[in-house]
Amino acid sequence: MNHKKARLRLFFRSALLLMIAGLGSLSAQARGGEEILREHCTLCHAETTTESGAAHFSRISDQRKTPEGWHMSINRMLHLRGVWLPPQEKQALVEYLANTQGLAPSEAAPFRYLLEQDTNRVETEVDPNLEQMCARCHSAARFGLQRRTEQEWQYLVNFHMGQFPTTELHAMARDREWYRLAHDEVAPELAERYGLKSEAWEEWLSQDKPLLKGSWRVIGFVPGKGEYDGRMTAVPDEDGNGFMLQMKGHYADGSPLEGEGHARVYTGYEWRGTLMLDDVEMRQVLAADPEGETLRGRMFLADSRRLGGAMNAYKDHERTEVLAIQPGYLRLGESREVTLIGQHLNGEVSLGEGVRVEEVIERSDDRIRMRISAAAKGSPGVRDVTVGEATGDNILAVYDRLARLEVEPAHALARVGGNGGQLDKMRVAFRAVGYAAGADGEVGTDDDLRLGYMPADWSIIPADETAAHEQDADYAGTIDAHGIFTPGDAGPNPERPKSANNVGRLKAVATVDDGTDQVSGESRLLVAVQDYVQRVLD
Amino acid sequence: MRPSLLLSSLATIGGLMLTGIGASAAADTTSSEDPTARDYREYLLTVTRPNQLQVIDMTSHTLLRSCDIPGPFGSGIMVPAADGKTAYVITNIWEDIVGIDIRDCEITFHAAQSSGNETVKSFQSVAVSQDGQELYTVQNPVRLMSDHYEVLEPRLAVFEIADGIGAQPVRTFPVDRRITKIAATGTGEVILGGGDLQAIDPETGDIRVVEPLQNWQRGEEWMTPDAFAMHTQGSQANEYIMPYSTARFTDGEQDMATAEWWWGISRVNLETAESERMEIAPLTEVIMNFVTDPTDDNILYGVFNSVSKIDIATKTIVKEQPLDHTYYTVNVSRDGNTVYAGGTSSDISVHDAETLEKIASIQLPGDMSTSDMRVAVIHDAAP
Repeated sequence: MNHKKARLRLFFRSALLLMIAGLGSLSAQARGGEEILREHCTLCHAETTTESGAAHFSRISDQRKTPEGWHMSINRMLHLRGVWLPPQEKQALVEYLANTQGLAPSEAAPFRYLLEQDTNRVETEVDPNLEQMCARCHSAARFGLQRRTEQEWQYLVNFHMGQFPTTELHAMARDREWYRLAHDEVAPELAERYGLKSEAWEEWLSQDKPLLKGSWRVIGFVPGKGEYDGRMTAVPDEDGNGFMLQMKGHYADGSPLEGEGHARVYTGYEWRGTLMLDDVEMRQVLAADPEGETLRGRMFLADSRRLGGAMNAYKDHERTEVLAIQPGYLRLGESREVTLIGQHLNGEVSLGEGVRVEEVIERSDDRIRMRISAAAKGSPGVRDVTVGEATGDNILAVYDRLARLEVEPAHALARVGGNGGQLDKMRVAFRAVGYAAGADGEVGTDDDLRLGYMPADWSIIPADETAAHEQDADYAGTIDAHGIFTPGDAGPNPERPKSANNVGRLKAVATVDDGTDQVSGESRLLVAVQDYVQRVLD
Repeated sequence: MRPSLLLSSLATIGGLMLTGIGASAAADTTSSEDPTARDYREYLLTVTRPNQLQVIDMTSHTLLRSCDIPGPFGSGIMVPAADGKTAYVITNIWEDIVGIDIRDCEITFHAAQSSGNETVKSFQSVAVSQDGQELYTVQNPVRLMSDHYEVLEPRLAVFEIADGIGAQPVRTFPVDRRITKIAATGTGEVILGGGDLQAIDPETGDIRVVEPLQNWQRGEEWMTPDAFAMHTQGSQANEYIMPYSTARFTDGEQDMATAEWWWGISRVNLETAESERMEIAPLTEVIMNFVTDPTDDNILYGVFNSVSKIDIATKTIVKEQPLDHTYYTVNVSRDGNTVYAGGTSSDISVHDAETLEKIASIQLPGDMSTSDMRVAVIHDAAP
């Protein structure tokens, strides 16, 4: 049924695209965007002409941001300022603004995790001043993904005072002259750090943009399903800035993966896909490299955006490419089945020192299923894998002993939900990463050898004595065999002291059998109450 | 304004039992003293969602009436006039202040502060002069221009209560930003609770520092305090309390991990405007609000997840009673015998002040969330 639904959606989308055909070329699109601004925005945003003769719209023209950032600004105008825009014009405006006032790839690079909705992380190296002023409520990526003039940053401070008037009364605000500091000191600092004009943007604007149509070899991970590999074909649609998508492949357990959908490209490199993958609606947030050779990012569940995994796509150039081995680790003296993933895999397979192919089970152009083994007395370390002329660097880790396990994300946030409330439960997907001790034989040093993601047994335990006393592990949720944590029901729970919600402080524990040893790792997990403010970017 | 239909039956029952405010013969469960012999009656006031003033008899712990408040919920912050008959409540998302006669729910005063493109908010600040003539609030205005906000200076606005519905400020004076709770003193000043504790003369606008907090000069040993007054509950002891938390660094370094953490208060005697500031107890748990025992200024009560009794002389929490759930605000009866934990949810938890044992619960028709819980004292018997 979902394929049918997806096809219907695609049909309507195509019809819609035909209706707005004419936005096809960049110049036509530019005119379209400007016309929409003129028609819907100039009642408040005054239009003037710059020295170079370009149109300038007050406030709007003094900012640059991501497609999501523009989406949020336009949403604000729709919800708070009484603007009305037909949906196709909203889409066209987001596209126009992201294309003409976006971020260069290097500007967005440090903060891609927010665009990818990969927000179970603790941001580090945030300027303490900005952390206290901005990042006590927002992610540091939220403002790091914006570029504004000094006056624009000051207007943003004023917007907070108008829209969220108790901002200056929060902890870490009320003990200082918050408004003066924000307006007179932090806004200039932001303008210095994240100013409107940049060489990177000027350069990106003048550069040829990558061509992204064609066939892509994809590798990724879907929580609950596992690692996958497949092909994604992108066929340009009528507006010339979007693609009809088809995805087909296999999960690591051999089950098929199939889906179709649509992707748009903003700012020349920001790939945003929506597709029905098997029965589930998924989103892709990927960035193309300037040459259009790779798309890298994350694919996640549309209705549960924290559940997702890395997705990388490699353009098919009809030449041999070795990309990965699943699983990418092999114990000395061990023999196991693996899948070598690449494209146009013609030629002899070589697995590096001490590792040999025992048997090729199945071989196609894109993948080689084989049994491989490592000599018992070989040396641990990473191996390059070659097929014919092509090499995959460091894609196979050969190890002596599993020394430690890290759980990702190391710090996670889940939120109670359901139980008749307005919001669904916010789940977390954990994965376990294995490490060997490396050449120095010491665990926890820089030379530890990363082995890759490993299947694990999962459990939850209280974070500390207080959490144990509050029986957090009994109430706050459960973790399944795939490492997916599902929090408890929303609402006060009369069984708990003070009728507390099913909140809790837990640890997610992964355990892996390594020969006769068991190795465990853990991650901090906070189960909190619902967040009723749903933002495009946190 | 009539009492809400929803609660008319409850109010009627309360009315029948008590034959109107000020004439109750209900038994006093908290004191051996005969309450009917007193020359005053106490009424606990709070605001519940969606937006009603609840009037509770403190002798019988009975809800007497529920008065509809115009507009959407504000923050539930209010001040009763000195005669106890009118409560002035911040409503309409902190933009309006209304006066409600607690005896019959009549709206006697309404100041709508926003107009045109200027939005004016009062953050928790409302006070009435001790002679009942003037009402004070700190206005925080912003102006929405065509494409941006302009942030205007805060100001103390003085209203004549006699101006009633549609009252406009008769005087305004510039004040600092970040002022929350305010109170009128017997000396004719208005205490301003912000970064520092200040007092303003509402005739001239002259401001003096009462207690420096953000600007205290205690050297490197003490952390700048996090002072914040959310609720107003000093009226029973005729005082104003600004709670704060701070850290005393113990090793010459400003190391939070080894610091001693303290609760403190700045306390102003509202009769004399004299003040004191002191640490009162180690910060071992969250306490949202404090109130002084009106019969012993060495004793404070605090609430959050517990109701606590604090001995200022020894700087210790001398007694603690866990609560059924979190309560934000606290008040106390004038005789010092009964402590009330309120705010947050829809019930007020009533405790014996000596033992802190729970002795009663008052169920309300809606959640109090951030609302004040204040005491109105009426000295004459007439309803």
